[in-house]
Parts: sequence; C-alpha cells; structure tokens
Amino acid sequence: MSFSRRNFLKYAALSASGSLLAETPFFGARARAMAEGGKARYVPTTCEMCFWKCGVIAKVVDGKVVKLEGNPLHPQSRGKLCARGQAGMGLLYDKDRLKVPMIRSGARGENRYKQASWDAAFDYVAEKLTAIKEKYGPESIALFAHGSPGTYFANVARAIGSPNISYPSFSQCLGARNVAWELTYGEGPQSTCERTDMANSRVIVLFGTHLGENMHNTQNQEFAAAISNGARIIAVDPRFSTAAGKASMWLPIKPGTDLALLLSWTNIIIKEGWYDREYVARYTNGFKELSEAVKQYTPEWAARETELPMHDIVEAARALGKNAPNVMVHPGRHFSWHGNDTQRGRAMAILNAILGTWGRRGGIWLAPKGKLARLEDRPAYPEPKRDAVVYGDYPFAGGEGLTNTVREATISGKPYPIKAWLVTGTNLLKTMPDERRTRKAIDQLDLLVSVDVMPTDMVMLADVILPECSYLERHDGLYNITTKESGIALRQPAVEPLYQSKPAWWIGNRLCRSLKLDAYGVKGTWEDRMRRQASLWGIDYNELADKGYISIPGSAAPYITPTNPPVFKTDSKKIELYSSELDDEDFDPIPRYKAIEQPPAGQYRLLYGRTPVHTFTRTVNNQWLWELYKENQVWVNAREAARLQISNGDLVRVVNQDGVESDPVRARVTERIRPDCVYMVHGFGQHSPAMTRAYNRGADDQHLITRYTVDPITGVTGMRVNFVKIVREA
Amino acid sequence: MPKYVMVIDQSRCIGCMACVVACKRENNVPPEQFRTRVLELVDGKFPRLRSEMRAELCNHCDHAPCVTVCPTEASYKAADGTVQIDRSRCVGCKACIAACPYDARYINEEEGYADKCSFCRDRVREGRKPACVATCIGGSRIFGDREDPDSEVSRLLRRNSYRVLKAAAGTEPNVYYINQYPQKLS
Amino acid sequence: MELTITGTNAITYPYLHIWDWRVAIYLFLGGLVGGIMSMSSIANIQLSKTISDDQPFCWRVPILAPVLLSLGMGFLFLDLDLKKHMFWFYLSLNPASPMSWGAWILVLIYPPLLLYALGALPDHIKEKIKPGFLKNLADQMRPRLPALARINFVFGILLALYTGILLSTFVARPLWNSAILPVLFLVSGMSTGTALMIIMARRSDVKLFFTKIDIWLIFTEILVLLLLFYGQYVSDAAHRASIMPFFNVSHRFFPYFMSIVVLGIFLPLAIVLKFLEMTGDHSAEITPGGKFLMNASAVLVLMGGLVVRFALVYAGQLSSFAGLMTN
Ligand SMILES: Nc1nc2c(c(=O)[nH]1)N[C@H]1C(S)=C(S)[C@@H](COP(=O)(O)OP(=O)(O)OC[C@H]3O[C@@H](n4cnc5c(=O)[nH]c(N)nc54)[C@H](O)[C@@H]3O)O[C@H]1N2
Ligand SMILES: Nc1nc2c(c(=O)[nH]1)N[C@H]1C(S)=C(S)[C@@H](COP(=O)(O)OP(=O)(O)OC[C@H]3O[C@@H](n4cnc5c(=O)[nH]c(N)nc54)[C@H](O)[C@@H]3O)O[C@H]1N2
Ligand code: SF4
Ligand code: SF4
Ligand code: SF4
Ligand code: SF4
Ligand code: SF4
Ligand SMILES: [Mo]
Repeated sequence: MSFSRRNFLKYAALSASGSLLAETPFFGARARAMAEGGKARYVPTTCEMCFWKCGVIAKVVDGKVVKLEGNPLHPQSRGKLCARGQAGMGLLYDKDRLKVPMIRSGARGENRYKQASWDAAFDYVAEKLTAIKEKYGPESIALFAHGSPGTYFANVARAIGSPNISYPSFSQCLGARNVAWELTYGEGPQSTCERTDMANSRVIVLFGTHLGENMHNTQNQEFAAAISNGARIIAVDPRFSTAAGKASMWLPIKPGTDLALLLSWTNIIIKEGWYDREYVARYTNGFKELSEAVKQYTPEWAARETELPMHDIVEAARALGKNAPNVMVHPGRHFSWHGNDTQRGRAMAILNAILGTWGRRGGIWLAPKGKLARLEDRPAYPEPKRDAVVYGDYPFAGGEGLTNTVREATISGKPYPIKAWLVTGTNLLKTMPDERRTRKAIDQLDLLVSVDVMPTDMVMLADVILPECSYLERHDGLYNITTKESGIALRQPAVEPLYQSKPAWWIGNRLCRSLKLDAYGVKGTWEDRMRRQASLWGIDYNELADKGYISIPGSAAPYITPTNPPVFKTDSKKIELYSSELDDEDFDPIPRYKAIEQPPAGQYRLLYGRTPVHTFTRTVNNQWLWELYKENQVWVNAREAARLQISNGDLVRVVNQDGVESDPVRARVTERIRPDCVYMVHGFGQHSPAMTRAYNRGADDQHLITRYTVDPITGVTGMRVNFVKIVREA
Repeated sequence: MPKYVMVIDQSRCIGCMACVVACKRENNVPPEQFRTRVLELVDGKFPRLRSEMRAELCNHCDHAPCVTVCPTEASYKAADGTVQIDRSRCVGCKACIAACPYDARYINEEEGYADKCSFCRDRVREGRKPACVATCIGGSRIFGDREDPDSEVSRLLRRNSYRVLKAAAGTEPNVYYINQYPQKLS
Repeated sequence: MELTITGTNAITYPYLHIWDWRVAIYLFLGGLVGGIMSMSSIANIQLSKTISDDQPFCWRVPILAPVLLSLGMGFLFLDLDLKKHMFWFYLSLNPASPMSWGAWILVLIYPPLLLYALGALPDHIKEKIKPGFLKNLADQMRPRLPALARINFVFGILLALYTGILLSTFVARPLWNSAILPVLFLVSGMSTGTALMIIMARRSDVKLFFTKIDIWLIFTEILVLLLLFYGQYVSDAAHRASIMPFFNVSHRFFPYFMSIVVLGIFLPLAIVLKFLEMTGDHSAEITPGGKFLMNASAVLVLMGGLVVRFALVYAGQLSSFAGLMTN
C-alpha cells in the first residue's frame, strides 16, 4: 500500500479538527518517514529489555534513536511498549556500557582488566578453550545463556562437542510449570506468550503471577481488558500485589500452601458437580482416581493449612465452577518456589482440565497451526561422548538444561571436570540460588568468558569480557511469533554498534573461526542468513524489514470447535489427570499435599518479585528506569515492624538462617503483606562500581537465598525457602 | 474547534509506568523530571485493603491559575482548550508552579523554562494520540475531543459518573477520573 | 493510607520548593522600601516645620529608597531561571497577574520616587550634582515636595501591600492564600520602614516621634499575625494544616517553630524598649544610652520583619491545596 505525504496531511488535518483521533495507521516504516517528509527514519525491530519480544518501531533522527514505540502490527505489543521497552535508549546510550574486549590482568574479582583487540581476545579464548578441550574433553566446556545471544554460543558449544548448555529460564523460572503441563496436556501453556485468554474470561485466578508488577506487555493489556470487561479476579498472594488491588477477592495465602488450596478447590468442584462433565469424559483420563484422591482435601482442612477463610475458599471455587469453562487458573510463569513445584503445576493444570478451560474462550487458547521449516545450513554437531550434566538425575529435567547441576559438577569435578564457562545474557551471581556456590564453582575454572552489554557483578568475574552491542544495534534473527496466530518478526539495527561492541552472531562466528570450526559459522552476514530463512518461509524479507511483522494467514485456531478438535501429545492422547509417566518414575501420579517447613518464630519467609520498571538486574543502571525505582526495599508487615520497632524508611539488614547478611536496605512498613513473610524486588544490590547508577543501591535477594530445595521431578530450584530476621542497622 | 480532554479509567491502570517513560522520551524531559506521574494509594488494614491507581498530569484547567499568574503571558489557554507555554516568553519566575494546585509544573533544569504536560500538542496536531495514551498498557488513559459527541471520551463521560481532582480549587479541570476502584462483583 | 508516587519533580515534591531566600529578601526589601517611602513622607510633611531640612533622614532616606528597591529587584532577578527573557515583563501586561503588576508598579514607582529624592536634597548636596538638568529638576521639585511626599506615602503603602498580595493570590498555597497576609506585610513593611527611620534619625524628638508610631505598628503587626494564624486555624483542613509547622518542634519544622519564638521575643521586646524610652526623661539632646536602646529596638524590628518574610515564604511552600491524597 502506498501512503503519500498528501494523504497523510489530509489525514492529519482531519484528525486535528477533532473528529478523528486515532493512532496513525502504520503502513510501514518507509511510508511513515515519507509521510512526514523524511524528518526521521523509522526502524521496526524487536525489544530485548525482557523476553516478551515486543515489536518496536525505533525513531531515528540524525543517527540517534530518539523514541521507541510499539509496533501496531505486532501482536506482542499492539502498538504499545512497557516502561522498559520505552527506555531502550537508556541501554543504548548508557555511558557505563561494555565498550571494548577486555582480558583480566588482576585476580578474579579485582576489577583489573586490560583492553584487547578483538583478534587478541579471540586468540586468547581459542587457545584456552582448545587446551581445556584437549585436557578434559569437550564436555568440560559449559554454556550458560539467556535471551537471544544464547543461540549463537549454543552453536559454538555444540560444535565443540559439549552438551552442557543451560538456561536459567528452566531451573530458576518456568521449568516446573512447563513440565507439569506437558505431563498433563502434552504441551506447555505457552507459545511466544502464555496462552491465557484473559480478555474473554469471567474468572481469573492468579497464584503469585503478580501482573502489573510482572510486566509482560500484552499479557497486561489483556489483564486490564479483563478488568474492564468485568472479569472477576481472584488473587492468591501473601502480598497485596498490584493484581490483588484489582481483584474482587484477595486470598493472602500462607506461602507454600498453594497446593492445599488447589486440591481443596478440585475437591469442591468435583463434589458440588461444577466440573465440565462432557469435557472431562471426552478428553481426560484418571478422573475417578482424581475424585478419590482429593476427597481428603476438605475446605475446613484447606482453611487451616492455608490460613484463609473457609468461606472465601468455597466461594472462589463456586465462582470458578459457575463460570466454567470461561475461566482460568493462570498457569503462572516464575515457578521455582518451594521445591515441590511440578506438583503445584500439575494441580493447576488438572483444575483447568476439569473446568474445561483448555481450548475454550476465556481459558487457555490453542497454539496456532502450522510449523515452520528449519533452515539447515550447518554440518551435524559431533556426538558428545559423555552424558550431559545439565539433566542431573532428574527424569523430567527439560531441554533447556539445569544450571545448578552444571555448577555442582564444576565444584565436585564429578562425573567429570567442568573447566570453562561461557556466560552470555545471564547474571548468574544474582540469578542462581546460593551465590557462595556459584563463586566456589568459578574458582575451579580455567576460563570464564562473558559476552554481555553491561559490567555487571558476574561480568566482572570473567577472564575475558566480550562486549555485545545492544539489541538496537544488531541483526538477531527471524522470530516465529506465536500468539493466537502465527507470524514472523525480526530484529534489525536502528543504528550502527557504538564503540567496539559487536553483535553476538559476529562474536560467535569469529569464535568458530578461531576454533577452526568455520563450517559452523554463518555464511556471509547474519542478515544474509535472515534473508535465506525468509525465503525458505516464503516471506518477502524487504516487506518484513519495513513492517516488522507479517502474519501467517489461517494459522489461528484458538478454540475447540467441531472442526478444530484438541490434540493432546500425551501417551494416552488425553489430558492426563492421572499421570502414568509420573507413576512410572515413582512420583505421585496425582498431586498429594505435603506440608513444607515453615519459619520458626521470629523469622520470616523471604519472598521476592518484580517491579514493573525493571527486568531483574539488566535494567537497574538504565537512566530512564533507574530514576523511577532506584533501589528496592524490604516489605515488612506493619504489626511486625511495630514489634521490631522499625519505622517506614529505616535502614535495616536482612539476615538469613545461615547468618548471611544483606546490604543495608530500607524497610517498607506496610499492611500489604502477611506477618510471616517479607518481600524484596529482585535485581538490586549491584557491587560492580562500573555500574555507576546501580552501584550499591538496595539489596540483593539472591545473596540471601543460600538455601534452595530441588524439585525431585524436574531438578528446578525452589528459592522461597529461606527464613530471615530483620535487624535494624546501627 | 475541538476541546481536548483526557479520561482516566483508574480501574484499568496497572501502575506499569509506561506512560511516564513514554512522555519523557517523547517530550525530551530532562533526567529526574516529569510531566506525568502515577500514584498508588492503598487504604485499610491487613487483610482488608483496597487500592487506587491514578495517573496525574496537567488538567488543562478552564480556569487555570497558572495562566492567571503568569506575568509574561507565556502560559496561555489555547483555542483547543489546552493550556500551553510559550517557552520564548517564559522568564522562569515560577509563579505558575506555585499557582498550580496539582503540582503539574516544573522548571526544565536544562533550559530554565517552566514546563508541563502539553497534551502532546505536536503529536495531536499530526493526528496522533499523546505518547502516554498511545502506550498506556492498561488502556487507562483515553484522550479525545469533548465537543465531538461520538468521541470515546464523550461516550465514557456520558456513561460513567466521573470526578475531577481537587474540584474545590475551582480550576475546572479537563482530566476526568472514572472507576476509582475496581468493581466488586460478588 | 500508603502512598507511592512515581514521577515526582523535586521542585514540587514532597513539597513546593520554588522560592528561597532571594524571594524572601526581595519581599522584605519591598516592604521596607514601602515603609520608608511612607514614613519619610510623613517626616517631610509633618516635621518639615519643626526640623530643619538638613535632617539626614529627610533626604538620605528618599535616596536610599530607590537603591534598596533596586537591590530588592536584583534579588528577584537572581531568582529568575531564564534571565535573558526578562524583557518580556515589559512586553506584556497581564492585569490578573500580581507579578505583572509588580513589574509595572515598579515602572510607576520609580519616577515619583526619584523625583522625591531629588526634591528632598538639601542645598549643599544639590550643589554637587553634575548634570545641570538634574540640578534644575531638583530645584523644580523642591516646592512640590509636599505633593511628592503625599504620592510617595500612597505608593509606599501600595508597594508594601503588593508584596503580600503577590503571595496571597496563590489559591494553591493555603498559608499564603489569606486576605490577612497583605495586611500583615503592609504593617510589617511600615514597621520596618519606621525602624529604619529611627536608626537614620539623629535627633531624639524625631526618634521618639517614630518610636511612638512604631509601637502602634508593632502592636498591630502582632495582632495581625495572630489574626492570620487564627484565620487559618478556623478555616478548612488545608489552611489549618498550613500553620502547623510553626507549632511543631520536630527536627524538620524546628526553624519554623524558632521563627515564632524569635518573633515572640523580638517584637514584644522592641515594644518594651520603646516604652522605656518614651516614659524616660528626655531633653533635646539624646543620651548615648537612649540612642542605643532606640536603635536596638529598631534593629529588633528589622530582624523581626526579615524573620516574618523568611518564615512565611518557606512555610507557605510546605502547604498545599487539599494535600496529595484527597481529591
Ligand atoms: N517488570 C518485570 N516483569 C517481568 C520480569 C521482570 O524482570 N520485570 N520478568 C519476567 C519473567 S522472566 C518472569 S518468569 C515473570 C515472573 O513473574 P510471576 O510469574 O508473576 O512471578 P511469581 O513468582 O508468580 O510472582 C511473584 C509474586 O508471588 C508472590 N508469592 C510469593 N510466594 C508465594 C506463595 O508461596 N504463594 C503464592 N500464591 N504467591 C507467592 C509474591 O508475593 C509476588 O507477589 O515476570 C516476567 N515479567
Ligand atoms: N533471587 C531471584 N533469582 C531469580 C529470580 C528472582 O526473581 N529472584 N528470577 C528468576 C527468573 S524468573 C529468571 S527468568 C532469571 C533471569 O535471570 P537472567 O536472565 O540472568 O537475568 P538478568 O539479571 O537480567 O541478567 C541478564 C544479563 O544479560 C545481560 N544482557 C542484557 N541484554 C543483553 C544483550 O543484548 N546481550 C548480551 N550478551 N547480554 C545482555 C545483562 O547485562 C545481564 O548481565 O532469574 C531467576 N532468578
Ligand atoms: S514487555 Fe516491555 S521490556 Fe518486554 S519486550 Fe515488551 S516492551 Fe520490551
Ligand atoms: S493543572 Fe495546573 S498547570 Fe495545568 S492548567 Fe491547571 S493549574 Fe495550570
Ligand atoms: S515561570 Fe514562565 S510560564 Fe511560569 S509564570 Fe513565570 S513566566 Fe509564566
Ligand atoms: S499528554 Fe503528552 S505531555 Fe501530557 S502526560 Fe501524556 S505524554 Fe506527557
Ligand atoms: S501506562 Fe496506563 S496503565 Fe500504565 S501506569 Fe500509565 S496510566 Fe497506568
Ligand atoms: Mo523468568
């Protein structure tokens, strides 16, 4: 479609007269630039301030990115960006960014580095890696990655012959949830986004899932729409979260007892006959066993266990029942809570199943149809000779691998030594529980390479630091965005890389070359490869580069209809209320409640979560976000604070059961949290002086998480099992 | 002539602060200064609490005290109902800041002139929504022409009871608040 | 109520923070100049028969007035954040803006003030004036001195009143937003002006004359100050809250509390000193001790006037219309 300047002005005049005030329709970057007379250049690309993959349109004036906006064509942003997405220039133009390759010249952690040329840095890394590979075998080289740079280094690791690739997104995030749903439905509840049909829902139950603070763009757009459409929100959270503030019922549950609530709801819904009989009969198996198993979980019992009013428990169950199937128990996302997480996920999946929400309006929609072909342009990877350590002994540890087992293997040298870590896009010190063990593991390493954008605490432990450019300066791939429909998006640079920073694909390529693994590198530039991939998928790359997103027609099929029956990829081809797979591995086939340890008197369970304006540790130094939220606080219940003689804003230290102490942090004395727990926003307490804004601001929750319980099914790390005291800072 | 107003559906605001950052980047607001803010007010005792989210900005008052007190007529009420500042006339005397009951103004620390929300005048002239409205994740901010009976703002104000902030100040604001608290459906 | 605000400006949060000592001094000097304009006019009208025209205050004060006024303007100028746009003050006239009138009042005030100063010049000074036309002007003004003095008297009152009106028009700032505030600034301006007259006067009868006036002014000032507080106290919640800093000994509000203490000591003490002087036995020649007491009480009054301006300028910015939480 062509969109001339004249048309645009006509449109503008119409709008300015007041009769029409809509967002300018977006016909493509070139059309907009032309309509405005070429004042600015517009570049559609993809956000990486978090992992939601929103479509961005970068406005570039005189070679500078001046504004970022949501791409209206892109279903993950729908024309909007969250605070972090809006603040992308804060990363691009951060003076503290990593600028040049550096090689450590002092002891680890001493912050002494020498600048190096890229060539020298690659030579250094290649030499070390080759030596390690020869001495300890290729499996002794491990990769930790998160976000888009991971792809390129996973390629390098596989090419070297190592299977030890892990992402914290499994073991510290959503691993248990996905496995629970896979065991139940044969697939997880997530495509590019969680497949929750909130805008059409009548009742939405949130366990944790602190929407509003957990800021995933369109999910929150849907949440607000749900509120507006009169959906009833039930927020199960020990803390009065933003979402609880929007809820018609807040259930301040005793932390760690969620399974009790879920099982008693299941019981009530079955006993009172609210469940979807036809759906259950047609699509599920194990209903009889389930009804038997949950009989013991009475509302009276659940009320005692969860410390919630019984009346509320029953009323919530009935609200779900009455409105089924246009309801959902939101599957959540960050799931490694207490080390029993897969069974909690199973209980959520089961409850959804008997309410018939999978494939129903207002429930969990079905993934779009169609699979895209892979571009096979690399030789096969060598077969590793030794078993990977990334799955540990956990039968259901997922494809993304466990970070914690790699760390433990590095410390023990068993089953074989791990001597090199490549780390990219993850701040392991703050991401994995028990920072002490992470440091101990690092002490065993012959080589630690960090590919990052900021001089974080983790980066400043590396032997070699390779500066990646920010997402606004690089090509990064074609993304298959699967919302209700399937579509293609891309990341392309708005401006050239600043300083000597380089895109991860380039770094990966050069690493391959230095390791004499050229065949695994990409031919030409990454953009060339993106073009090849586009043509494989039958997409006009130029059009994509102009629009930022192209949808695949006919791919959407969100609800179950006679012509669109659900397909369950479980062994039984049904929804497994009773999981034979779990049974086979000697786990409870139907979730069974086991109480977890509660804090002794005078101690509080340490909880953590998000602020909407930061992503973990990655944004804390960003000018435009830093100024909104400079440091975290520790939330303390007002009654408890009075007992401890702590006033709002007082400096305190948080001390855990192992005597580990936090940095000084301000107390937030509030009615908004249960008396038996305290809460911190994750991501603060940076000790790297090179992060000038974030340096020594607030306190790190992870530093206090020295204890973690491992979920026996998946190996994920429950991180809400630390008990702390609050001590007034002298 | 249009009369621009904003309606803020408080029940839809999820406190994401996207508006705050969008406004700053759109309007080149210096570090640690703001044209708009978001308040979260929580009331009650554990576990009986209720919460209100509220975006605030210049109200483009019909009886704007900031305009009244401005010695150089740098602040003025424009024909489209918005209150604007002519930077080239501003002497930075700050009287308008003292006069505004909503604390909507500040001095641009880099340039010295008084500044505040302009209802994104340049964007609106191009027929685009204000930056904060365009990116409002919750859809809490709705902008439009009150003179046009078919505009969304007119419809919302017909259908909802609404309030303005500090009505007693007599400034006749043009930012309207609806749905102060989320609905209780039980 | 738990309140979290994201996106606040230091200039308005947690409280208004726009004007500092520069404005306080400007207001003080404005009031002082108003006071000396009126008081020196009284002197020139009332005392012209009994005292000789070489009484220093009769001509020095009228010269001092434009100097102090310009100084005050200088402080205001210092406060402007965009000084290079100053000229817009005189390319606009916003009749509703007290600042705008302020700018124009000054334009109106300077001519009579300068003419008055010229007219009051004693001959031996006049001799020394270089530009001939100025000397001529001074000669011409001499017979018009009583008329000029009357004009100055009125303008002096307007100027002192104006300094209070400037603040009282801010509906958004409850402490300032009181009809009593201009009266307070007027009386205080007159009183400080009188004090300066006392200091400048040499002769004890003149000192006594103004001391008598000042007693009434200080009485009135105390009364008006009490009325201001009372008025605020019986008004709505925001107005009531606006005077609380003065009655709060906590760390943050201590300076305000102290300002009340200081005023509570200075002003009455000044009165007492003045009474002592008046009831004392005075011959035409003033004793050094008497002179000291009179000057000391005048200094107390000047300091009191300064404290009033500082206290009200700063405390007014702590007050806000209906607060942040209420609607
Ligand atoms: N702004 C922002 N948004 C983000 C991210 C970010 O970094 N910043 N990260 C994204 C990522 S990767 C993820 S995984 C998600 C994580 O976000 P979520 O999936 O929402 O994380 P949760 O752990 O479910 O939610 C934290 C909430 O759980 C509550 N909670 C703690 N313990 C318990 C308990 O035992 N029971 C119950 N019912 N509630 C409990 C806490 O009080 C807190 O309110 O957020 C995503 N969104
Ligand atoms: N205590 C505690 N631990 C947690 C969580 C928690 O809430 N509390 N949350 C858990 C969850 S849900 C998750 S998903 C994980 C997240 O864990 P991580 O993904 O490790 O999160 P970040 O702390 O943001 O670290 C991101 C790193 O990537 C870098 N980076 C950012 N952009 C780029 C880029 O474009 N290229 C490259 N090469 N690097 C980049 C940043 O500088 C930073 O060093 O943490 C988990 N761990
Ligand atoms: S949710 Fe926000 S930070 Fe995440 S990708 Fe979208 S705009 Fe970027
Ligand atoms: S809100 Fe304040 S700045 Fe805006 S028009 Fe009203 S008085 Fe003026
Ligand atoms: S600061 Fe500028 S806009 Fe405000 S009153 Fe003074 S001149 Fe007018
Ligand atoms: S309308 Fe424009 S200037 Fe006003 S708050 Fe919104 S973004 Fe800022
Ligand atoms: S963008 Fe919208 S939802 Fe988000 S804080 Fe601002 S007003 Fe609220
Ligand atoms: Mo996550």
